[in-house]
Amino acid sequence: MDYDLLIVGAGPAGYVAGIRAGQLGLKAAIIEKGHLGGMCLNWGCIPTKSLLESARLYKKIKKAEDFGIDGIFPKTIFFNWQKAIFRTRRIVDRLSKGISMLLEKNGVTLIQGTGEIASPTCVIVERRMISAPNIFLATGSKPKNLDLPVPKEMMLEIEDLFQLEILPESIVIVGNGSTAVELCQFFAMIGKQVNLVSEEETILPALDPYLSDFAEKKLRSMGVGIFLKTKITGYDKEGVLCDEQKIACQKILNSQEREAILPFSTIPIDKKDGFVKVNGHLQTNYSSIFAIGDINGIQTLAHVASAQALHAVNYIKGIDSPLDYCCCPLNMYSEPEMAQAGLTEPQLKKAKVEYKITEFPLSANAKAMIEGSTEGILRLLSERKYGEVLGVQIIAPHATDMISEAVAIMQMEGTIYDVAKVMHAHPTTSEIFLEAGWAAIDKALHL
Amino acid sequence: MRFIFKFPDIGEGISEGKILEWYVKKGQRVQSGEHLVKMETDKVVADIPSPKSGTIAVCFGNVGDIVYVEDPLVEIEIENVSPQEAQKIAEEKPAPPKQESLEEKGFGVVGTLEVAGEGAYLPASYEGRMQEENDKKHAKKVLATPVARAMAKELGVDINHVKGSGPQNRVTKKDIEEHFSRKEKPAPIEKSEVIIEAKELIEAVEISQVRKSIARRMTISKQTAPHMSIFEEVEISQLVSIREEHKEIFAKKGIKLTYLPFIIKAVVQALIRHKALNSSFDIEKGQILYKHYYNIGIAVDAPDGLVVPVIRNADTLSIFAMAQAIGEITEKARSRKLTLDDMKDSTFTITNYGSIAGLYAVPIINYPEVAILGVGRIHQKPIVKKGQMCVGNILPLSMSVDHRAVDGGETSRFLQEIIDGLTNPVSLLLS
Repeated sequence: MDYDLLIVGAGPAGYVAGIRAGQLGLKAAIIEKGHLGGMCLNWGCIPTKSLLESARLYKKIKKAEDFGIDGIFPKTIFFNWQKAIFRTRRIVDRLSKGISMLLEKNGVTLIQGTGEIASPTCVIVERRMISAPNIFLATGSKPKNLDLPVPKEMMLEIEDLFQLEILPESIVIVGNGSTAVELCQFFAMIGKQVNLVSEEETILPALDPYLSDFAEKKLRSMGVGIFLKTKITGYDKEGVLCDEQKIACQKILNSQEREAILPFSTIPIDKKDGFVKVNGHLQTNYSSIFAIGDINGIQTLAHVASAQALHAVNYIKGIDSPLDYCCCPLNMYSEPEMAQAGLTEPQLKKAKVEYKITEFPLSANAKAMIEGSTEGILRLLSERKYGEVLGVQIIAPHATDMISEAVAIMQMEGTIYDVAKVMHAHPTTSEIFLEAGWAAIDKALHL
Repeated sequence: MRFIFKFPDIGEGISEGKILEWYVKKGQRVQSGEHLVKMETDKVVADIPSPKSGTIAVCFGNVGDIVYVEDPLVEIEIENVSPQEAQKIAEEKPAPPKQESLEEKGFGVVGTLEVAGEGAYLPASYEGRMQEENDKKHAKKVLATPVARAMAKELGVDINHVKGSGPQNRVTKKDIEEHFSRKEKPAPIEKSEVIIEAKELIEAVEISQVRKSIARRMTISKQTAPHMSIFEEVEISQLVSIREEHKEIFAKKGIKLTYLPFIIKAVVQALIRHKALNSSFDIEKGQILYKHYYNIGIAVDAPDGLVVPVIRNADTLSIFAMAQAIGEITEKARSRKLTLDDMKDSTFTITNYGSIAGLYAVPIINYPEVAILGVGRIHQKPIVKKGQMCVGNILPLSMSVDHRAVDGGETSRFLQEIIDGLTNPVSLLLS
């Protein structure tokens, strides 16, 4: 055997598996045809959030006068796409080098090329046979192909977006989910005309309807047109046609739901709904082949991919580290940010749990006022008997960071009493937890 | 910096030990490697060395106490502290009871796991094998989630008796629910009747540590190494007469001369010429490790079960020295005085079941070695020599090899060398 572990794909599943394998003394190699960091680092989480940050600042600067800064005139400032992209690339490069360094530090070999599965213990890379007792498939996912009756030059994949020299003045985003919403907000914040077209019924099916409704209203208030249960049926000079309706646009961006990127395999690997079928330890129908990250379709999230990578490497070393997805945070880097962990209201209803929802608005929070962003809320979903916190939803600046507190509480089976007992520094946005805790027990202090 | 040294896993499947003697006391300075405590386990008496240099701050447990693997043994103040600080440590109040210390240090002692071996990777899941001992050691609050506590209180469940499934064996609500539902369910009537009957006919005895260790090692060997076995008979009349001639002389010097030293001698000489039989096979690393030393393990039927003490550097020993060494280790094995050192690093094993009964056997390799020789009962039977029937002294030999490492041809040639040596013992002694 050439290696102890062969990993196909260097995204947040693959490279984390490599590092952990190195730490545990395994001789590991990663096969990657493209860039280190996968979709997340190169075209997903990192670059989109970097662009959103630029757009957010652009929007905030327009309000500079409110903060006591004169001399900035909203009409004279403009968004420089090229510079925003340059900044984004710099961040990506730095993180990519970081991964490269970490892999090297942990003795992980990087093999450039496309991996083809030849047997349960062999992968062929560029006509070279490499063997290992364990193989991890970590090739990720991509948006489903969009087959629309429109000219090819109108179509953009997310990777193409970062290559554009000039941004289109009007765009249609096809799909739903957090990426689609984030992209809509990005274009809206920098003053482009955006429309969202989806065949689905809701824009954020994975989130609590409260958050999904909020996002929909927010998008509309930002001038984003939302066309749900709608299909693009044709085009003309000005844009696309959805049956009778006409939506003006120069480009169409594919942000459809994702499908697995399956490596070529000469042995049959079982699938379920287009993703690789795995057991609780992420093993495929071959016990030596694991599928980690988006490819198994359990959740298409980078942090889940990394958690699965750790689990799988630990497992092959005989270390038991159970995987629990119930407290997995779902983040939206929207304006304002939104985050959710635990169960949603429909899920609680379905499970017939007697629950109560306690809310605390951001408008009563000092730090939010200081930052000039008071739009938002904390929602605490707790069961009635012991007061266990079963779900938390946040709409607030930094919601994506603050959700970790909720995850920690839920992971330790904490109650509303524990939430109220945690001392929070003042002034912080996170004080909304303490307030919501008190509100759940009795009454909020500052309301 | 304080460092808690836990009773390490010293191998051989040992999970607990009894403190026989403390070599150190509070306030005493120790060097890394210096012996801290003498522990008696099911199998050996072992001196436990200190992993760090420093000053002993606390010794956990008294002579006679049972300590489990992963329980703290000593707390050491690591070097680079001022003498005043060291003094202060020495003057501190006596250590709190053991249970308390374990609870308190649950998170803080993660660093100590560098000496705790495999489990060190995920402290959150592996630390504190306290849980099974919950029943005995609940002087202090057991680790549990807030909901689990509230639930236990309401359902009237004593949380100290619940086995936790969370990180660090934290008791979760699922554990309380399961515990409660088990308690609630009355035992089926038929089953309890069976148990009453069974009690009269069957005696249930806890499996001893030695038995567990034997079970584990035998299973690993059989499941890992594909065994191939070969049998042969050796006519050893010459050897029988040599032994007869010399056993009195040996006896006068207090040494019992058996056939085993001659067999070891023959084996070692064959091993020198057939290095594949004196090796171990590491498929993970893709390596065969040929050993250039000849340590022969002797399977001994000790009172508690099989142990395999080792005759070290057998190639350098005379028959006399070998007989002496065999006498010593078998005596130590039978009186349970073997140390771990006495049982380490064998490269080839001999099992002499014939000294009790049995002609042939299919011995299980003492893994990770690659071969084992079984010696059957020496007996007389008619043989044909130079065309004539006569009485022969027959020594039956049985051998198992790991076929991954050694093939049949090599095994047969190796066995033939042993046979040649035993048939013509003079050559054995002259070589």
